[in-house]
Amino acid sequence: MSQCSGGSCQTCSDDPDRLPPGMLRRYDLNESTADGVMVWIEADGGKVSRPSAEILAAAKGLTDGRVYGIIFGDAGLKSEYPRIFGYGVDTLYHVRGIASYSPEAYAEAVSQVAERVNPAAILVSATPRGRELAPRIASLLGAGLTADCTRLESDGRRIVMTRPAFGGNLMADIECVGFPQMATVRPGVFPLPEPKEGKGTAIYWQYPPEQDSGVVSEEAVQTEAADISDARILIALGAGIRDRGLVDVAEEIAASIDGAMVCCSRAVAERGWLPRSRQVGMSGRTVRPDLYVAFGISGAVQHRVGISGAKRIIAVNRDPEAPIHAFSDLSLLTDAEEALKELRDLVAGKPRRRSS
Amino acid sequence: MRFAVAVKQVPDASEVSVDANGSLVRLGVPAILDPFSEYALRRIIAMKEEGDEVSVFAMGPPQASEALRRCLCLGADKAFLLSDPSFAGADTWATARTLAAFIGRYMSDADLIAFGRQAADGETGQVPYETAGLMSVRQFAYVTDLHKAADGFVATQDYGDVARSVKVPKGSVVSFYGTDPCGTLMSLTDRIRGYGIPIETVDRVAIGLGAYSVGLKGSKTRIVRTDSKSMLRKNRKVAMSSPGRAAEVLLEELEARR
Repeated sequence: MSQCSGGSCQTCSDDPDRLPPGMLRRYDLNESTADGVMVWIEADGGKVSRPSAEILAAAKGLTDGRVYGIIFGDAGLKSEYPRIFGYGVDTLYHVRGIASYSPEAYAEAVSQVAERVNPAAILVSATPRGRELAPRIASLLGAGLTADCTRLESDGRRIVMTRPAFGGNLMADIECVGFPQMATVRPGVFPLPEPKEGKGTAIYWQYPPEQDSGVVSEEAVQTEAADISDARILIALGAGIRDRGLVDVAEEIAASIDGAMVCCSRAVAERGWLPRSRQVGMSGRTVRPDLYVAFGISGAVQHRVGISGAKRIIAVNRDPEAPIHAFSDLSLLTDAEEALKELRDLVAGKPRRRSS
Repeated sequence: MRFAVAVKQVPDASEVSVDANGSLVRLGVPAILDPFSEYALRRIIAMKEEGDEVSVFAMGPPQASEALRRCLCLGADKAFLLSDPSFAGADTWATARTLAAFIGRYMSDADLIAFGRQAADGETGQVPYETAGLMSVRQFAYVTDLHKAADGFVATQDYGDVARSVKVPKGSVVSFYGTDPCGTLMSLTDRIRGYGIPIETVDRVAIGLGAYSVGLKGSKTRIVRTDSKSMLRKNRKVAMSSPGRAAEVLLEELEARR
């Protein structure tokens, strides 16, 4: 076998770019072929959840390839298909055979589908279930996972994930080593898309019947109907508000304005004056209202993460050195408690005018 | 029964401040036992009965033994410090890999592996579930209540919209939901007991992992850039003559958005 085959091997040639006969271009066999974005679609109560819809709408812009959705539930979810495709999903995997939410079975199914479609990225909403599910998927796939991202940027395949670090004081840009890249995305950081109908491919994925998941009982917890992430105007109360009665004053102001709600910083939520669902910041919600008025909020680094998407931020604070001034548009240096009372009187003194 | 509790040492968040440029002042900030870890440990200690054994383990530099010392004073029976220069710079994947290897070697007969919901510094909350996934054991998140039952435990989980009660088989990973804002007071006897127990140091070789499985080299994510200015806005400060004047300004702003 020592005979030369006439230029079909590179040993005879000095030209390093010369290819063997029949070969049209050089392939990098170490380069991954992963492409597209896969999104876990959370569907509580048979409806696509708001955080999932936000991610789906953003996913199309992150990839040159396809957008894959994966959803869990029974046949009743079929009525949601047009909406899901309308958000930009090309191929939807509908996993059936898992009776109730189980992180182990869900992660197993997602990783099975991911191994088949080979996505470049898997995005999961940073809801309580998503935060638990994503690490489990990452450990099965050996993928890098960034928690709680507030921004995603992509060149069509590689994604740079931005998340607050050190309590929100720094924004860290993070890249994954290898594919798939995984991230959980904070609810509220992408705008909610307009629902429209669309068409795509739906694929059933039958999961083998699971063993007893051991759930003894399950009950729905009463949650507030209104959500601060929907509010157009937010009146935020911070540690500088020391009189509990002012919470009612703020509620009065909010009640007289369409689309306004009261929210708070962690200090106020921890006092139990407002429920946790009203807390804004790193350990609470992310909001993007048109106007955010912060009364007596010093602006701890954790708080600013939650409000960076607000169109206009006004801080009412007596302390000219408070950190909140650095990330608000207008600062009114005065006593926040008194200003709140005065504002209530002004609002109450006016006849209620309603738009539309 | 044998319990294993994963803990972490973190900088004391209440002491962290921001300087004029908006960057974090970390110099001289004391390190404490992570409040989420402490809460998990206290829940486990509360379940402990005669004959039970509670082991704690932490990954960190040699100074992290102070956090473990506090765990021993709180009532833990054994403490392991996973410390090796090659562990530095680990992301959640490399951390989970290290913890899973440690548990496999030293804690394989544990009836329960407990974590806090997240650590107060990183706030990713991923390590418990990545560890459970790597160990192929079941995971129970957001546990608000846990008690012993025949052949395992029964946990109450709070998913925000749904609260559920679920059977926890032996060997599972649980993560506790809350923290204790007030901290814990310890008696002198607890302290004397805690200081009498040695802390065992475990390095990379002892848990049988290669240098490319741990720390920065074994991580699946990289921080490529950090930015402390992106959230700053062009601010206009106005000193108000009276709160009433401020209220008028605010009313104008609100009226503009009716």
